[in-house]
Amino acid sequence: MGFDLAFALSCAPIILGAVGTTLFVAFVSCVGAASIGFLFEMVRRMCGVAGAMSGFAIDFIRSTPVLIWLYFLYFVLPFYGIRLGSMTVGVMGLSLYYSGYLAEVFKAGIDAIPKGQPEAARALSLGRRDTVFYVIAPQMMRNIAAPLGNYFVSILKATPYLAVLAVPEMLGRAFDIASETYRYAEPLVVAGLIFLALALVISYGVKRLERRLLAGGTR
Amino acid sequence: MHAQSDPIVGIQGLHKWFGALHVLNAIDLTVASGTRVVVCGPSGSGKSTLIRCINGLESYQEGALRLAGTTLGLDARGTAAARRQTGMVFQSFNLFPHLTVLSNCTLALRRVAGKSRSEAEDIAMAHLERVRIPEKARSYPGQLSGGQQQRVAIARALCLNPRIMLFDEPTSALDPEMIKEVLDVMVALARDGMTMVCVTHEMGFAREVADQVGFMDGGSILDRAPARAFFRTSGHPRSPLSLETILKH
Amino acid sequence: MSLFDIWLGILKGVGTTAAVTAYGLLFAVPFALVFGVGQYLTVGVARLLVTAIIEFWRSSAVIILLFVFYYALPVFGITLSAWTVSAMVLGLNAGGYASQAVRAGLQALPSGQKEAGAALGLSRSAILLLIELPQALVAMSPTFVNTVIQLVKATALVSLVTLSDMTFRAKEIAQVEYNPVAIYTALLLAFFVVCYPIALAGRWLEARIAAPGSRAGGI
Repeated sequence: MGFDLAFALSCAPIILGAVGTTLFVAFVSCVGAASIGFLFEMVRRMCGVAGAMSGFAIDFIRSTPVLIWLYFLYFVLPFYGIRLGSMTVGVMGLSLYYSGYLAEVFKAGIDAIPKGQPEAARALSLGRRDTVFYVIAPQMMRNIAAPLGNYFVSILKATPYLAVLAVPEMLGRAFDIASETYRYAEPLVVAGLIFLALALVISYGVKRLERRLLAGGTR
Repeated sequence: MHAQSDPIVGIQGLHKWFGALHVLNAIDLTVASGTRVVVCGPSGSGKSTLIRCINGLESYQEGALRLAGTTLGLDARGTAAARRQTGMVFQSFNLFPHLTVLSNCTLALRRVAGKSRSEAEDIAMAHLERVRIPEKARSYPGQLSGGQQQRVAIARALCLNPRIMLFDEPTSALDPEMIKEVLDVMVALARDGMTMVCVTHEMGFAREVADQVGFMDGGSILDRAPARAFFRTSGHPRSPLSLETILKH
Repeated sequence: MSLFDIWLGILKGVGTTAAVTAYGLLFAVPFALVFGVGQYLTVGVARLLVTAIIEFWRSSAVIILLFVFYYALPVFGITLSAWTVSAMVLGLNAGGYASQAVRAGLQALPSGQKEAGAALGLSRSAILLLIELPQALVAMSPTFVNTVIQLVKATALVSLVTLSDMTFRAKEIAQVEYNPVAIYTALLLAFFVVCYPIALAGRWLEARIAAPGSRAGGI
């Protein structure tokens, strides 16, 4: 009873059929995480209670596993009468969890801008809005592009967690095949290899993007 | 409107503290239109802080500071108006790395002075030629040497047609072989009649263009004189020693 | 069931969580050191091989990796306990990340250190063990702390391969008692209580490393 290569190859197209769902979930969660993370960081920069609470929220999220957040949202929301589809809950969970990490990315990206930049803008009499739009934001974007890309890969690798919520993504497909055929090894290995390939390809793309950004004139 | 004889910068009894540290101590300084003032002194003497106060980049606790007819520190709009007539050149250039040299110069022209794109580019190119670097207009700061970057920074500040230019140790971050190209630009600027306040160690430059030289230490202006008198003798016991050591290296 | 009982019930799993973490570190630390140093020292084909192994463990989706090894190994005739499989997979995954920190720490050392050691007549391995590694390890200790936290959080996955850690206990309780808010909040808190102090220790370490002998630089 060994590894059936032919069977494994036949699993591949079935599992890949769900790659759209996987990528969609990853993309929406990434956007969600970036938005919430950005908000968290902006609030954290404010002084006072709100800032401290935001900082604590970030720390709390980062001290807990993503799987638990998925369980939490999946079971607690219906308790309060909020009934959402499992994919929605999954995206919410991933967005919430990774917002903690992306808040740190935004923090690092903004802190990396030399103090002299806003000073030069002030010396040129640029107003606050213009300074943010033309001087700060573009540099922040360049600073966060690579870390953001790397977190996209992390989020992509976390989408299989949604299988425990019965979301029809690639790992779920693999388990579907397994439960029908009672052969677990082949579909799981195929799913694993697909994710590995995706992760490596996208990571390579991010590295090239990073190299291009660094070459674009920062000494 | 202000009379031509009104000094562009008028500082009286200025005091500034960083916590318990008294960084600026009873500073009096007047800069008349069309004159050059050079401020020198050892590190930590407060000279950078002083020039940053003139531009409103640092606040002060006591005294009066008038720039281009406005008292600074009262309200934001007044400060902004005064700043529009002031150009500042920083030790670390502070060019915007994500914009081309030309865009660095035209940004404020378009967003603050409201010029159209072609107008702004014409003005910018004229100033880039003035600092002898028009061919680099489409390059990015990261592709330029330190001396080239600083010249662009000077052009950028000049584009807004300021009444006074402030220089905060403009050559201190440059390799020795690039200092001359920047000083040449500054000397040409002085000969064209620009009012300038320079914080610098470059005594040769001071001797050539300064009308007034001030020596600062420990937050106070210890010695000041018209340039010729300053370089012949110095009243304060500290200054000759410092000048000697500066001139020797 | 009172809140206290729920909390105690979940904590019954903390032994498993701790054990899997410790067992996992037995895989993570040696892997990180060996392969991190390996990537630093080797060139050419050898380096490609080392990098490939690191990337396999680092870039795979850890949940799939766990399932693959849990289900697929027996097919190849290798039977390991759920404990060993979990510890190995989670540990090597964490080790993959940590190996990058080891490599980066070694690469960040000024080359003058190696040169000074060579000038003193030390062998390559002596230079590595006596000069480079001690300095690099101190510099990357905060990253090791993060790896421990990462590992602790990853242990939540072992609940999916029948090990009774805190998450498994929580789900058990959830089957007899409908109180998702209490149960899953308690579970989040349990992880927080373990991971947050470690995170704070890491931050303290980071501050202590940065303070003395701050790099010269800045104008």
